[in-house]
Amino acid sequence: MPDPSDKTIEQIEQEREAAERKNALDQQRIRRAISIATPFISVAIAVIIGSLLMLAAGKDPVAAYAAMFKGSFGGTRQIGETLLRATPLIFTGLAVAYGFRAGLFNIGAEGQLFLGGLAAAFVGVKVAGLPWALSIPLIIVAAALAGAAWAFIPALMKAKIGAHEVITTMMFTYIGRYFVSWIILDHFRAEGAIPQTPMLPETSQLPRISDVFTFVEPNRAHLGLVLGILAAVLVWWILKYTTLGFEARAVGFNPTASETGGISIASTTIKSLCLSGALAGLAGAVEVMGVHFRLFDQFSLGLGFAGIAVALLAKNNPIGVIAAAILFGGLSAGAGTMQLEADVSQKVISIIQGVIIFMVGAETIVTWTVARIRDRKGDADAV
Amino acid sequence: MLFSDIVTPELFASAVRLATPIALAAVGASICERSGVVNIAMEGLMLIAAFSGTAVALLTGSTWLGVIGAVLASLIFASLHAWASVNLRSDQVISGTAINILALGITGYLMETIFGRPGTTESVQTIPPVFDFPSGGEGFLGEAWHWINTVVFSYTPIVYFGMFAAVFLTWALYRTRWGLRLRSLGEHPRAADTMGVNVSAGRWFAILVSGFMSGLAGANLTLEQVGSFTEGMTNGRGFIALAAMIFGRWVPGGGYLASLLFGFAEALQLKLQIFGDLIIVPRQFFLALPYLLTVIVLAGVVGRATAPAAIGKPYKSKA
Repeated sequence: MPDPSDKTIEQIEQEREAAERKNALDQQRIRRAISIATPFISVAIAVIIGSLLMLAAGKDPVAAYAAMFKGSFGGTRQIGETLLRATPLIFTGLAVAYGFRAGLFNIGAEGQLFLGGLAAAFVGVKVAGLPWALSIPLIIVAAALAGAAWAFIPALMKAKIGAHEVITTMMFTYIGRYFVSWIILDHFRAEGAIPQTPMLPETSQLPRISDVFTFVEPNRAHLGLVLGILAAVLVWWILKYTTLGFEARAVGFNPTASETGGISIASTTIKSLCLSGALAGLAGAVEVMGVHFRLFDQFSLGLGFAGIAVALLAKNNPIGVIAAAILFGGLSAGAGTMQLEADVSQKVISIIQGVIIFMVGAETIVTWTVARIRDRKGDADAV
Repeated sequence: MLFSDIVTPELFASAVRLATPIALAAVGASICERSGVVNIAMEGLMLIAAFSGTAVALLTGSTWLGVIGAVLASLIFASLHAWASVNLRSDQVISGTAINILALGITGYLMETIFGRPGTTESVQTIPPVFDFPSGGEGFLGEAWHWINTVVFSYTPIVYFGMFAAVFLTWALYRTRWGLRLRSLGEHPRAADTMGVNVSAGRWFAILVSGFMSGLAGANLTLEQVGSFTEGMTNGRGFIALAAMIFGRWVPGGGYLASLLFGFAEALQLKLQIFGDLIIVPRQFFLALPYLLTVIVLAGVVGRATAPAAIGKPYKSKA
């Protein structure tokens, strides 16, 4: 028992404050750690649930995942395929992530992607004859504008009357798909029985990475990947260093405080959702310029929706989006091999996506689990 | 093309039938949202129910067991949404999106695993209409009876149940103690909690009501209307239901009436397609009509409609 007179009241107070500060710092560190761990734990849980589904269907999950890995990272060609599939997901992931940062849920990236793809296919054919250095930027601008235009009415409706963007952008996805299907059926159609747009001239196509850098073994990944990485850096820069990005983040974080601080919520909402739409439009452009060289009805099977999973998994961090897109690109590239070699339906990929979204949304599951583990550890220490 | 060729009793009956899945989901959603929980998962719930209903009906040979299977499957996934939004306090829109994407994946996966191929299942025996009155005779009376018989008495059981549910739940929401408590959860959960209302239990129940109604919507779609399941067949109806619920101002009966508008647009769209050659407007325009209508309805109405005050906000009891 130490003599109380050894310490003055001030010292006791200071010690208590220091302890509290340390405690708060600990809490913060734990929260940070959980935040970083959530995506990894979510993926792990999704993989486990996928395995259970395979087991229930009498399939071997180890063989399935092994086949999937082989099909996605097993060689240069496979890695190329993974990067090829990751490329549009970087753009749709960025689109959804940028929206989230501004407090907007752009669930309609799929529709904006189709419009961007249509613009790319149209301009790409029309600029035939122009040199490569002119035609590619023109196509990119056109696709971005088309994507932004498709997000504009939902953005306006959100800003002016508060119509929820989840409903309106979703409706615009359906409307957009019917619009595109009408255009390629009746107005901008290549010769032949299949309704599709004419083929892009070579000057409008994005070259393969292995054609530019000849030391790389031949694979299908194209320069759209580089554009995607540039776009991610650009979005990161916009969010971090520009007024546009600052206002978006402010409105997303606390709209009331932003308005008091002199930021117009309406104008920020419109700008942010249109920028998000532009990014989704670019996803359509890289698919047209780098993969299919034309547009047809089934040219995207949910790339826009996969962007939601990518953005959430990346915690809306533009650089994280690249990693998350490569993960999903790998899942998608390996799915075929998995179906072929382990006889597991490719659809398991969307289940894994859904579980990941659910888990990342429910961060408390992770918090709860971590708290449980800590409790148990605390008990063990006591014993 | 004559006016009387288009405006027939069959058009109105078809409007009611096509409105039913949207209406069931919208009625359920208004209960869910009144409790303060956003449910954008109806699209997925409906899809899962449509698949499970068809699968159970095909495997057991009983359409009614199919209905039960549809509702149970929807309830299971609604529980997932309830668990996430009430117990885990997740973002409700994200949890709903997860369920929508899961639904697409799971139905596609099971389609290939159980039936061995993607696309569409085989057909099941659909549920017949409740009444089977003889059609009218000649003359004005016969014509009048034909209208009444078609517009009032030509429906299958779930269609009638939807009408009943809309009336019953509207009454319950405004005239019962349960309704008052439910609305208090969505307006001011803290006050409700202080008064001894169990917020978590109330919200769980409301989400399950929505799950039940979405399940019936899926069952109606496959077991009463189409007779088979096709991947992604809900085609945005869950989202249209959300718009109908807003248009109906978060009142079950209002949501039902708003859904009739969408049903009518769809019925008209189908009818006009038959006259397609006579109209310059492309077919895709008609197909897009229900979605366009949703946008127009939202543009015209949302500003004046107010959502429950505490909508979408997870509640954490201080106790």
